[in-house]
Amino acid sequence: MKRIALAAGLAIFASHGASAQTADQLVKGATDTANVLNYGMGYNLQRFSPLTQINKENAKNLVPVWNYSFADDRSEESQPLIYQGVLYVTTHNATMAVDAKTGKQIWKSKVDYPAETPRVVCCGIINRGAALFDGKLFRTTLDANVIALDAKTGKELWRQKAADIKEGYSMTVAPLVADGVVLTGISGAEFGTRGFIDGWDPATGKHLWRTHTIPSPDEPGGDTWKGDTWKLGGGSTWITGSYDPEQNTVFWGIGNPGPFNAAVRPGDNLYTCSVLALDPKTGKTKWHFQFSPNNPFDYDAVAEMVLADMNVEGKPTKVLMNANRNGFFYVLDRTNGKLLAANPYVKVNWASSIDLKTGKPVETDVTRDAREGKKVVVYPSILGGKNWEPMSFNPQTGLAYANTLVFGGHYKTEPATYKAGEWYLGMDLTDLWEWPEGPRGQLKAIDPMTGKTKWEQPSDIPRFSGVLSTAGGVVFSGKLTGEFEAFDAESGKKLWQFQTGSGIEGQPVTWQQDGVQYVAVTSGYGGVYSLFSGDERLANVPAGGSLWVFAVKN
Amino acid sequence: MFKRTAATFAAVVVISAVLSAAAFAQQQDNSAAHSPIDLGKTTFAQKCSHCHGPNMVNSGTVTPDLRRFPDDQPRFVTTVKQGKNGRMPPWGDILSDDEIIALWAYVSSRRAQ
Repeated sequence: MKRIALAAGLAIFASHGASAQTADQLVKGATDTANVLNYGMGYNLQRFSPLTQINKENAKNLVPVWNYSFADDRSEESQPLIYQGVLYVTTHNATMAVDAKTGKQIWKSKVDYPAETPRVVCCGIINRGAALFDGKLFRTTLDANVIALDAKTGKELWRQKAADIKEGYSMTVAPLVADGVVLTGISGAEFGTRGFIDGWDPATGKHLWRTHTIPSPDEPGGDTWKGDTWKLGGGSTWITGSYDPEQNTVFWGIGNPGPFNAAVRPGDNLYTCSVLALDPKTGKTKWHFQFSPNNPFDYDAVAEMVLADMNVEGKPTKVLMNANRNGFFYVLDRTNGKLLAANPYVKVNWASSIDLKTGKPVETDVTRDAREGKKVVVYPSILGGKNWEPMSFNPQTGLAYANTLVFGGHYKTEPATYKAGEWYLGMDLTDLWEWPEGPRGQLKAIDPMTGKTKWEQPSDIPRFSGVLSTAGGVVFSGKLTGEFEAFDAESGKKLWQFQTGSGIEGQPVTWQQDGVQYVAVTSGYGGVYSLFSGDERLANVPAGGSLWVFAVKN
Repeated sequence: MFKRTAATFAAVVVISAVLSAAAFAQQQDNSAAHSPIDLGKTTFAQKCSHCHGPNMVNSGTVTPDLRRFPDDQPRFVTTVKQGKNGRMPPWGDILSDDEIIALWAYVSSRRAQ
């Protein structure tokens, strides 16, 4: 007991010491097993840890070490960060620092926002996490502010309003610190907004640049919008980008166009459903790749752009991977945006294939009918083949582990009427789903170049948890019914599970401290599936947010 | 049993009130031809369904299952207008009284038996 107290004291002392997070530490985040410094467990967003103490033999001995209550009953989608023995985690209404070894709270800083805010939040009252740099913690607020806190005390150091909730904007994204700039995205493409990515000075909060994801008519790509449609064109940026420090390039996914009804906005609608390669210092675009031009089905492309070095046709290649919501798994050359592979990883009927030369989808009658206003059954549904919940890429197995959605949707357009701060969709929301008989979700091990499944683990109620994989050969994920699970990365065999008390929509992380490997995940559901699916099987899964930490019992 | 009768009666009163409002509106605007339940259903889909579920179907854990909302129109109207407990946002500045009454008609029509 004394030893634990002493260790905790040291950890707190260390965090109060002079060593603030440096740019170099952030660059090395993916291999720093003592800390979790980046969203995605590394700038590459691989969510892969080289740690091996927890492995496929002993994962069955995992036990909870501590639990920390968020005193909140919304969806808990935040990825914890760990620095020098202190765990930082966020909810929609608070930021918290917790002793990573004991679970004791060090500070909690409340986040207030106007009561009207949830009106313009489409898919859960949430926050996805923080960024750490130079002794400061950066986060966004639901009412579209970016704030910096003193990482030692939780005291607010600066605050900048990025956009107005009255116009439909909100923020849930975890910021990215790259090349000394804090980058943030925005939510709101369902409310007639015009998306952007911002750059902020970490020291002062000074606004450095804004790159709109929807070009104005005089900008490159402006000719892909007719009339004034660009002003309400959507293109949110609500998931954190990846960063390649060698090229000094940030890769940020861009969301769906608005409204969903594509007839309102003829043209390719750049840069919706795209990835932008950006210079973090200036926000200038180096290249772009559009996955789904003029998309009717909410196939936004915000989800994680995972970076890896892979052999492609015998050649070492710097790639970017994306399990796109449109059902295709893309591999791009990240140095130039050239498409290398795009294969379906779930059932797809809106397009028959992706043309590797042009990068464009070969659309089917389903999409043509949908554009003409006919009711269609489309695969994937508007929730996509995979939604926001991040996958993991394990460079040792060469496989991506992703929680996929294996159901279709009903789609029928309606006229879209714009009113500031209100839903702007142009789609019938009364009959959305085409449910399969069996499981609605599959945790899949996917070969990136072929999209083929090596193994899958079904779930009747689909998983909406992030995935973590480790060099110990273990894959961690969670269920909406509360089970936190470990699988064998090679075979998919389930090794262990633990009931966390509420549904899991969090992002598991792992680190090693004083010789012990820990795994942390948030529990607490209330995200897009529980809100939109009408799945009444969740009626006996309580809401209620907390953070769990596990280790192997010797 | 009494409750159900009261609920039916209340719904009828509300519906007739809305119908006359709608009929009045129709004289000025030919587009208001929907029944109050339909109008409420449309308003619900646009403003409420992203928290309370499509067609009011949800698990009732994260947000209230409105099919179980008590037969209490004043409470409903107050909650919609003013919000509640820092969770339900206020809608009084966006939704008109007629729209809220139509929502109530729709909620009443979906009440669990």
